[in-house]
Amino acid sequence: MDIIKIENLVKNFPVGKGFFTALNDVNLNFGKGEFAGFVGPSGSGKTTLLNIIGSLDTPSEGRAIVMDKSVSELTHKQSAKLRNEHIGFIFQTYNLLPVYNVYENVEFSLLLQKMSGSERKKAVMQALEWVGLTDKIKSKPNMLSGGECQRVAIARSMVKKPQIVLADEPTANLDSKNSHHILQTMKKLNEELNVTFLFATHDEKVMKYLNRIVTLEDGKVLSDKQNNLKL
Amino acid sequence: MIALKLAYKNLLGAGLRTWLNVTILSFAFVLIIFYNGLLDGWNRQGKRDTINWQTGQGQLWHSEYDPFDPYTIADSHAPLSDIVLKEIHAGNLSPILITQATAYPNGRVQNALLKGIDPNQKILQLPSADLNNVQEKYSAFIGSRMAEAAKLNVGDWVLVRWRDKNGTFDAREIQIAAIFKCDVPAADNGQIYISLSVLQEMMGLENEASILVSNENFSQKNIDQWVFKDLDFLLEDFEKLIASKKGGSMIMQGLLLILALLAIFDTQVLSIFRRQKEIGTYIALGLTRWQVVGIFTVEGGAHSILAALLGAVYGIPLFIWLGKVGISFGTPDMGITIAETIYPYYSVRLVIISLLIVVFAATVVSFLPARKIAKMKPTDALKGKLQ
Ligand SMILES: Nc1ncnc2c1ncn2[C@@H]1O[C@H](COP(=O)(O)OP(=O)(O)OP(=O)(O)O)[C@@H](O)[C@H]1O
Ligand SMILES: [Mg+2]
Repeated sequence: MDIIKIENLVKNFPVGKGFFTALNDVNLNFGKGEFAGFVGPSGSGKTTLLNIIGSLDTPSEGRAIVMDKSVSELTHKQSAKLRNEHIGFIFQTYNLLPVYNVYENVEFSLLLQKMSGSERKKAVMQALEWVGLTDKIKSKPNMLSGGECQRVAIARSMVKKPQIVLADEPTANLDSKNSHHILQTMKKLNEELNVTFLFATHDEKVMKYLNRIVTLEDGKVLSDKQNNLKL
Repeated sequence: MIALKLAYKNLLGAGLRTWLNVTILSFAFVLIIFYNGLLDGWNRQGKRDTINWQTGQGQLWHSEYDPFDPYTIADSHAPLSDIVLKEIHAGNLSPILITQATAYPNGRVQNALLKGIDPNQKILQLPSADLNNVQEKYSAFIGSRMAEAAKLNVGDWVLVRWRDKNGTFDAREIQIAAIFKCDVPAADNGQIYISLSVLQEMMGLENEASILVSNENFSQKNIDQWVFKDLDFLLEDFEKLIASKKGGSMIMQGLLLILALLAIFDTQVLSIFRRQKEIGTYIALGLTRWQVVGIFTVEGGAHSILAALLGAVYGIPLFIWLGKVGISFGTPDMGITIAETIYPYYSVRLVIISLLIVVFAATVVSFLPARKIAKMKPTDALKGKLQ
């Protein structure tokens, strides 16, 4: 069973009086536990595709079926629930809540779920353990390095034990040492928890970790290859 | 709950700007409470004084009596029946006979109301008992305003002319036995008080009165040709005065409140513009757009809670202090009932109503800009590229 099915997907953006086609007849399937990525030049539609899979956006034509739900048919409430429970996001710019400390940032999405305080605490501490940040739980984001921020973001996306994590250029603001560190962390979580990871990236370092690389160009799938890991 | 915690952290995180808004709003808050408390205090004192010095707990008027029509006064008097006398003896009613008179203090002419009052009455605070201690039969007491206007002192004689029951003019010198001070101009300006029995004799109206002042124990409201006027009626003018003062002050309070609300509105607009990425992140984390609207609304509205707390910090000591020492108004003689010192009165009701108004208004002006979030596309918000 594929966890993500993309069928004849087209995405048009209104530009001036006409349209700009950012994704053009994309067909892709992803199984549970894949560690895959979209690569391709800037403007090729990587982010747009991730956003649709994350139900932050909807297709203009075709369908994107995520966990058996067609994202264009979800209400705002249903898509919020889908994201809250099953989809984790990791952004290039970390997007941590600046007024919350590390612990609270990670805890946030669990507050939207019904969960006892002790359960929640356990989950947060475990997520922070995965990323090796248990000693910084009281720090505010502005006291952390970029690598640490991204690790918090990973913990935040993982704390709810999602089915899918969508990572848009997660290493773009990190040096190579930190990039490898967070990629190893994500790979480990992928293997241990069987979480599906989808990346959008330009970064060679990221590509080395991917099991499958989908190349986009001008909104079309140029190639879709299994990647032999050279680690 | 999450929204409140976030609001609290975001507001404190915003630092100076928050405190600026909160400070202005707290001024508005404190001013509203202060001013209304002042008027409420004035209202309470004014009513109490009017009751004590002029109206009692209500009055029975002779059916012809109309204080605004001087021509009725000559005809509005009636003998005191047994029922009335019984109440008078019980101390529940006090008769006053009223007639128009002209006084000639120091050779000048002044219209006055000559009032015959029972020297033994206890219902009004007027110093009628002083009339028991005088040698001179034709003794009067007057208020300080009247004394000043007529340049009369204790011991002075003043020529007074009046008409008796047949309309015949009569005149005689009356000696000022006492001068009293009170905060109720209507009980003072142009009033000359003499003993009831003396005035009855002067007018040839044995055992008659124009009005009967009652105390709180008086209950029989329908007697003979007397019409009962309750406090609502007797205090109506004063009530209207306070209401008009309240109305007038609303403009000032409203302006200050609007200023504070504009500052919050502005902050909201700016903060929603600057924090698009955060908004997108909330949505990515699984909040609905309206929940995000809620977060921002609560955050803006929470200014009012902080303002109430800040206002309480300086307002409560200020109010307690003012409640103790009062606010001095000197002796402004504007013909309205106002004490020299007003003790503002802060009721729980006033505080709660003001709080509700401020919280409600702050929430509304926070909600209006936040509504925009519901129309944002989350992908655009995440890019932070909205205008
Ligand atoms: N809201 C929008 N309105 C109009 N055009 C858009 C919008 N969002 C994206 N596009 C266009 O769609 C195309 C694909 O954008 P997308 O962000 O998916 O590219 P990308 O592959 O992620 O690029 P990058 O590597 O630079 O992040 C781009 O040409 C972009 O200009
Ligand atoms: Mg992109």
